Amino acid sequence: MKKFSLNKLNMNRVIGRKKLSLREREAMYGRLFILPWLIGLVVFFIVPFIDSVYYTFQKLSFGDNGLEFTYIGLENYIYAFTKDPDYIKNLTSSITNMLYEVPIVIVFSIFVAYLLKDEFKGRTYARTIFFFPVIIASGVVITVLKENVLGSGSNMVGSATTIFRAENLRAVMINAGIPRWFSMYVVDIVNKIFDLTWRSGVQILLILAALHNIPKSFYEVAIIEGATEWEKFWKITFPMISPTVYVAIIYSIIDYFTDYGNQVMRMVVTQANNGRFEYSSTLAIVYFVVVMIIILIVNRIIGKRVVYLS
Amino acid sequence: MKSIKVLKLDQIHQSIKMDELTMSIIRKNILRILKKLFLYTFIVCMSYILLYPVLFLISNAFRAKEDLFDPSVIWIPKHITLANFEYANLLLSYPTAIKNTLIMLIPSVIIQTFICMMVGYGFARFRFPEREILFGILLFTIIVPIQTIIVPLYVKFRYFDFLYLGRLIGLITGKPLTVNLLDTPWPFYILNLFGMGIRSSLYIFVFRQFFRNMPTELEEAAKIDGCGPFSTFIRIMVPNATGAIITVMLFTIVWHWNDYYVSTMFNNENLPVSVMLTILNTRMSMLQAAQGFSSDDIYLLGSTVLEAGCLMVMLPLIIMYIIGQRYFTESIERTGIVG
Repeated sequence: MKKFSLNKLNMNRVIGRKKLSLREREAMYGRLFILPWLIGLVVFFIVPFIDSVYYTFQKLSFGDNGLEFTYIGLENYIYAFTKDPDYIKNLTSSITNMLYEVPIVIVFSIFVAYLLKDEFKGRTYARTIFFFPVIIASGVVITVLKENVLGSGSNMVGSATTIFRAENLRAVMINAGIPRWFSMYVVDIVNKIFDLTWRSGVQILLILAALHNIPKSFYEVAIIEGATEWEKFWKITFPMISPTVYVAIIYSIIDYFTDYGNQVMRMVVTQANNGRFEYSSTLAIVYFVVVMIIILIVNRIIGKRVVYLS
Repeated sequence: MKSIKVLKLDQIHQSIKMDELTMSIIRKNILRILKKLFLYTFIVCMSYILLYPVLFLISNAFRAKEDLFDPSVIWIPKHITLANFEYANLLLSYPTAIKNTLIMLIPSVIIQTFICMMVGYGFARFRFPEREILFGILLFTIIVPIQTIIVPLYVKFRYFDFLYLGRLIGLITGKPLTVNLLDTPWPFYILNLFGMGIRSSLYIFVFRQFFRNMPTELEEAAKIDGCGPFSTFIRIMVPNATGAIITVMLFTIVWHWNDYYVSTMFNNENLPVSVMLTILNTRMSMLQAAQGFSSDDIYLLGSTVLEAGCLMVMLPLIIMYIIGQRYFTESIERTGIVG
């Protein structure tokens, strides 16, 4: 039914009035396909977002007629940058942490996906286990777990849990004469292993799917040409999965920044829960301008290197 | 004589060859065994890390009060009890909460998957001048978390009018026509319908990557056969995207099930199961009234009941995962979700 009516519409356009060129017609259909999202973008994103930005220049208070606004200019921003003791500190630390955590997650996911790709005894079991975090890591259960069970009551969601801490390792490494900064760095990563493995479920899934999508004939040619495993990986596998790795990188960055455990996110949520919506919005908006710039830079660097077959 | 010598030489030659062959076979075998050994050690270690929290939960949820401070109990409790689950069932209002979750979840998942697929296809296969800018905005919407816009959204759904029609009517009659959609699942349905649901932008991105790497021949063939873009999409692209659809659906189910932030904002009653879990601690006093426990008992039971509650909330997802995972991983293998 739908098909007919749409075709008719199309025919009327073509015959009746102005004849649309092929390109114009393609553009029109493209816009029709994204129309629901476009409406949603304006009504449920841009308008609320502008409202949020508007809040940042106001002081909100709960009066008799609901919310009351008073214009205070840049007060909120000035407070965030100069007076808030935590904001700048948390912002810089979450950016630097992202810079080394995301590569680790990506390398780990590629590694695991590569392991799980080939047939071996117990692969089904291994896959079930490795994708398991996808199911509970995103939600309330893991937050409850970390706060009440694993973290022994400390409220540091997202920090390493007590079972996998490597306090002794640092001492050993420093005694062994390894530079202090380097051993701190290694210990930090070891402490985060639990967290990082829990965060790479989606990425493993994406990359594994991409690995299975590489045509077998590519490898057959490579074997005939006498390529080693190493060459096969860098010359065939890696370029072929590069679009997915790109998705996985963007996903990891976003996941890292919007995780409830991220310090800045926690500040945003805490301020909103305390009823300081205007300050919460200010923090969030500054934060997401920063994150957006980072994503654009990453996009610029990686986007061009991605290989698309078609 | 001569022939014997030749034969011997030949034999020697052959034996050397055999030696090399056996050596290389042995070397290969050792390498393979080492590889296997590494693989299985790695998997066992990872399994421990990944399953630890669940094993911990199971071990604790079945514990009776007596075992809580018994140092000889490490993993397997001495007094196994189901009481914790009973209490959690009461505190979570489990059946009602599950019902609320499902009412919100099932239509949301279907709508969201379909809309995201459609929009992703639009971004992947049609060229129009503003596409790149819109795609940039899409990326932006992924990273702006719902917390930034939740307060305006709350107001929007409290006084909801579709596409400002209510306000237009209001201009004429003097009284704007709005509906209060809070405490209903409609905010979820509407947000998903317009591609703004929980992580919708991400799924659009995933589908766009997927469709972008599909061969164009299929569509060209359909076009030649007289299919319009929409019937091409429904008849050709959707059946070919089964793997991507299943994977995205799994994610949408998981994220809707686990969501508690949005649900807390939009609902005061009809709470889904995830929200009930977050307030389980505050409802502990209900036990006091129902079971006649002292406050000391409540304090003691606190963590085990919470752990039982966690298990009960996770259980449907885990069952779904165990049933679906074979089909799910196979479908990934067959079609791949992202090229």
